[in-house]
Amino acid sequence: MDTASLTTSLIAALPEVFLACAGIFILMVGVFSGARATHTAMLLSVAALVGALVLVLFGPSRAAFAFNDLFVNDGFGDFMKIVVLGAAALTLIISFGYIRREQLDRFEYPVLLVFAVVGMLMMISANDLISLYVGLELQSLALYVVAAFRRDTLRSSEAGLKYFLLGALSSGMMLYGMSLVYGFTGTTSFTVLADHFAGQAAAGQELWLGALVGLVFVVAGLAFKISAVPFHMWTPDVYEGAPTSVTAFFAAAPKVAAMALVVRVLMGPFGAWVEQWQQIVVFVSIASMLLGALAAIQQTNIKRLMAYSSIGHVGYALVGLAAGTEAGIRGVAIYMAIYVLMTIGTFACILCMRQKERMVEGIDDLKGLSKTHPLMALALAIFMFSMAGIPPMAGFFGKIYVFLPAIEAGLYALAVIGVLTSVVACYYYLRIVKLMYFDEPAEGFDRPVGREVGAVIAGTAVLVLFFFVAPGPLVDGAAAAADAFFAVAG
Amino acid sequence: MIVQTLCFYLFAAVMVASAVMVISARNPVHSVLYLILAFFNAAGLFVLIGAEFLAMILVVVYVGAVAVLFLFVVMMLDVNVAELRQGFLQYLPIGGLIGLILLVELVMVAGFVITAPEVGEAVARVPMPPPEQVTNTEALGRVLYTDYVYLFQASGLVLLVAMIGAIVLTLRQREGVRRQVIAAQIARKRSEAIEVKDVPSGSGI
Amino acid sequence: MIDALIVFLPLAGAILAGLFGRALGDRGAQAVTCGALVVAAALSVVVFIDVALGGNARTTELFTWFDAGSFELSWALRVDTLTAVMFCVVTIVSAVVHVYSIGYMAEDKSIPRFMAYLSLFTFFMLMLVSADNLVQMFFGWEGVGLASYLLIGFWYDRPSANAAAIKAFLVNRVGDVGYALGIAGIFLLFGSVEFDQIFGAAADYQDTVLTVFGIEWHALTVICLLLFIGAMGKSAQLGLHTWLPDAMEGPTPVSALIHAATMVTAGVFLVCRMSPVFEYAPDALTVVTYVGAATAFFAATVGLTQTDIKRVIAYSTCSQLGYMFFAAGVSAYGAAMFHLMTHAFFKALLFLGAGAVIHAMHHEQDMFKMGGLYKKIPLTYGLMWIGSLALVGFGIPGLGVGLAGFYSKDIVLEAAYAAQSAAGGFAFWLGIAAALMTAFYSFRLLFLTFHGQTRADQHTFDHAHEAPRVMIWPLYLLAAGAIGAGAIFYGFFVGDGRETFWNGAIFALSDIIEEAHHVPFWVKALPMAVTLVGIALAWAMYVWRPDLPAAGARLFRPLYLFSLRKWYFDELYDAVFVRPAWYLGEGLWKAGDGALIDGVGPNGVAAVTRSLARRASRLQSGYVYHYAFAMLIGVVALVTWYIVTAGG
Repeated sequence: MDTASLTTSLIAALPEVFLACAGIFILMVGVFSGARATHTAMLLSVAALVGALVLVLFGPSRAAFAFNDLFVNDGFGDFMKIVVLGAAALTLIISFGYIRREQLDRFEYPVLLVFAVVGMLMMISANDLISLYVGLELQSLALYVVAAFRRDTLRSSEAGLKYFLLGALSSGMMLYGMSLVYGFTGTTSFTVLADHFAGQAAAGQELWLGALVGLVFVVAGLAFKISAVPFHMWTPDVYEGAPTSVTAFFAAAPKVAAMALVVRVLMGPFGAWVEQWQQIVVFVSIASMLLGALAAIQQTNIKRLMAYSSIGHVGYALVGLAAGTEAGIRGVAIYMAIYVLMTIGTFACILCMRQKERMVEGIDDLKGLSKTHPLMALALAIFMFSMAGIPPMAGFFGKIYVFLPAIEAGLYALAVIGVLTSVVACYYYLRIVKLMYFDEPAEGFDRPVGREVGAVIAGTAVLVLFFFVAPGPLVDGAAAAADAFFAVAG
Repeated sequence: MIVQTLCFYLFAAVMVASAVMVISARNPVHSVLYLILAFFNAAGLFVLIGAEFLAMILVVVYVGAVAVLFLFVVMMLDVNVAELRQGFLQYLPIGGLIGLILLVELVMVAGFVITAPEVGEAVARVPMPPPEQVTNTEALGRVLYTDYVYLFQASGLVLLVAMIGAIVLTLRQREGVRRQVIAAQIARKRSEAIEVKDVPSGSGI
Repeated sequence: MIDALIVFLPLAGAILAGLFGRALGDRGAQAVTCGALVVAAALSVVVFIDVALGGNARTTELFTWFDAGSFELSWALRVDTLTAVMFCVVTIVSAVVHVYSIGYMAEDKSIPRFMAYLSLFTFFMLMLVSADNLVQMFFGWEGVGLASYLLIGFWYDRPSANAAAIKAFLVNRVGDVGYALGIAGIFLLFGSVEFDQIFGAAADYQDTVLTVFGIEWHALTVICLLLFIGAMGKSAQLGLHTWLPDAMEGPTPVSALIHAATMVTAGVFLVCRMSPVFEYAPDALTVVTYVGAATAFFAATVGLTQTDIKRVIAYSTCSQLGYMFFAAGVSAYGAAMFHLMTHAFFKALLFLGAGAVIHAMHHEQDMFKMGGLYKKIPLTYGLMWIGSLALVGFGIPGLGVGLAGFYSKDIVLEAAYAAQSAAGGFAFWLGIAAALMTAFYSFRLLFLTFHGQTRADQHTFDHAHEAPRVMIWPLYLLAAGAIGAGAIFYGFFVGDGRETFWNGAIFALSDIIEEAHHVPFWVKALPMAVTLVGIALAWAMYVWRPDLPAAGARLFRPLYLFSLRKWYFDELYDAVFVRPAWYLGEGLWKAGDGALIDGVGPNGVAAVTRSLARRASRLQSGYVYHYAFAMLIGVVALVTWYIVTAGG
């Protein structure tokens, strides 16, 4: 690679390069700036994420392929990067107060999250099995650490350790699958793989069993990252054990990045074998929707509830992927964007659940919230209605956009099960609304909730509630994402 | 040629055997020692295919640094193997069954390759420069620093994150611990460090 | 641009007052919302001159809303004469009510909330009247329903207010279902919900039939009837009217704005807006005529005996809405809109005047505890006279001089007569009867409230006082409208200038209004004659011989009770819908629920779900090796599946 191509490559990866450099810079600032280090580092991190977002949106035009085709830029990647960066910035903003109150304020926290986001961006832009893996590990390693960030408590350490061990197992599976794919095709590049498989499919040949098994292993590893059933087991424990601000982060940005990766791997190199991987996706999707709906009913801890809720949502998003069509991919993109909005809003509310200077996490602590904090109760009710998929909230449209392509693709059973499970899921979402509005108030939460948290809650609630007024930008963006993706994949 | 083949099977057999011993040895110290043995054999395999640089790196880095570090850690931690084995038998039947199924399936996959030779031909070969023209180190350097510079840098980030993580999770600022501050030591002047008292002799204090 | 300003200024006011009410304070919230509305009203007049008088109808596209395949929608403001008229009515009345509320609600605890609701309502109402497609209109339609619900239940600590709010909400749902089905039907038939495309294609579908359950239905009739059900709900027509009198639980300015001048006329507006479709569904129009006429008559009879001052006016509103509907039913849409406009002025005036009386009497609403107030509150007294005269349609038939109601009510009745159909005749004679009763109850109200010996307790009477200026001044504006609006706009709405005025905004196959101008003189004179009779009767019974009403009530006791209990509608609904539902519920609960449902039905399903849920969460043991094992099993299962299906 000569200097010129290196320059174009660096420009092509400008948001990632910028964010990585910013991470190192913030680390230095944190090390050398004494008592206010955390606050400064948090502010700088938010600024860095926003900066990267600006670069994605308005930066110089970036080449489609870079670094010897290890890295790809397309509309799909840009859309997902925007969602990831936005989600990461918002989750950092809402955790300002939390980490200060909970004595988690060490400057490494935002630095690790910034590096995790770098990893996510690399995942989204991966065009090679190896760059996929390296990006994934960068992200995961940072997340393992932040999960155990409250190292003095047993639960947090346990969460970090569990996440690490199971993550290592899933990485191992994925690497094994990659080695099978490489062994059978002799390449790790997505572009070459896609051409190869497309040619094979055009010639009417069957997919080699070895590559297929490799694919299964790769998908299993990826399914772990999006916490799809049966690779979801870590989710509830880690969500519950990790500090709440970390849980909020887990539920938002990494999910989007991993989902983008799943879409990229399945639609990119394996795009020609939709019928083959469709079966896995359908199975995983149904299992996730069922478990997400059923297991959440029994929960009393709101973070565990959100864990199962996120499992269910991943199942719904996978419905769109299972269709394997352009409309389906558009649905996945829309669903993930809406999911992120609802999740961040909900976690912003959860971060406000403090009584007498201590965090509480019981669902029962929300009783009578409408009397003590009417506006927060209203916002949380909006999020719950939206997650349950009740019109005219955004969540309803998200579900529409994934179910319709599935029906068009002839996956009737999948769509029907999806609708049924969302009815079951209504139960626990609406239970929260009922607790807030119809039960006698428990002890109210501490005030004030913090200006930035309030602003995020209000903003996301308004977006979720009034999504139906102007769905145009998001839908168009997602359509462009799916379209660009299909154009690249052929 | 025959020597090479024999060496290959020797190294491979010893390596697999020691790998099995790594996970089945009762004493964790023994496990680490078997691991070192496996590394040596892997290095031998590398030499056989002409990758002498990789072989040396393997010995220097893995045997010399990583495995020895392991050994220290294992010796410092008092791992009770018997406790770890609890419940092993309880899960053995079903675990064994799953393992067996997986094994059979993977063998089927491998068998599929043997029975369908066209697969091997269809594999896209990565063009490799002939060993006579390019030295081992040069080839490695080109791959690492030119072709895959992106991954090289990204791996650097991964290591940085690992380091930050290790520090964050373990480093504690303890109160009341006296530390050596070299800069302060060097910067001290004679006048600050000692005080000359004029003690009159013979009168006591 | 100016159209968008009119629509969004009230929204801006509502948001400011609603979200930052605490920061703005009471004064600030009032200033923001009133200022926004006054500006909007001024702009509306400009738009009216430009669009209605200048003939510059236009559609402003704001942005694309939905773009999902064949279903494409955009937010657009359609401003033609119909919309311009409604803009004026809505913003002027709303501005008046906003200013009036400053005085009326002065002692309330949550002024910013009230002002925000009022402005929010205005925004939705403007959205409704400026909609360019049925879905956007539905958005406004539901929005005004919501705002109305919030305002009726504004004093949420009163159980009766809450009950009234819920009743209004539920009854309106019935209508909304009809409306939503109508929209669906239109989309099915026309493949679009945009007005331009619907109106353009309406003539092509005039003979289309739908086959449902083996019976052939005329498609447009079905659609129009469904839409009309929606209109009935919102405009409180016979059958779905029960919520309107109860809605008087809300603060009086709300009654004036929502339940007299604007929201309840949305149904009339809908029928006029959809006139190009209704014209091709003559059967539906006949139904509209009958329902409107029946409502006009029914509500007037109930108004005769009510004792609550606001309820009398409420039933009067209901009755006048009936007039508007049967005018629309005989294709005299211009007359309907004309009556809508004049009615908005004098009915808002009456309501706000009644509010001033209630204010003076310390929130006493029973007319039999008033009387003799004309000395105490002469300004209000005068204004109520103007309002009542306008309502009864006082004027001189031969010369064609009178107050606003005189012009609009007469043209409505003349159009009904000129229709020369069974429905038209029915409507005409019931309308005449209703006019008689309107005169009676209006003057009964005046005489009971202001004349004779006071029946109020001495303390209240002594402290009765004229309302503050901020409440009286807005009324002058309405009074001016009640006096002059008829004379000024007669020519434009239904007179010779109507063709250029409406400029295609409403559509009628035959020009019924032209025929209405050539009816015999007795038709023109009859309403005035019966009105005078009604006034005389009222005078006789409540001023000349105050013992007559009691004697009359004794003599015609069944009739009296029938009217007093509002034709037993509430009891009927209670007996037909509420009680059976309750009994059914109880029966099902006892017989079905215990045995069937708890066993195998939904509850059984719920039980199974719960036990499944328990199992699902028990999977979560907390041991890492369990988790790892589950992952392995998952992978092995998937691999096995592929090997079996692909390889075997």
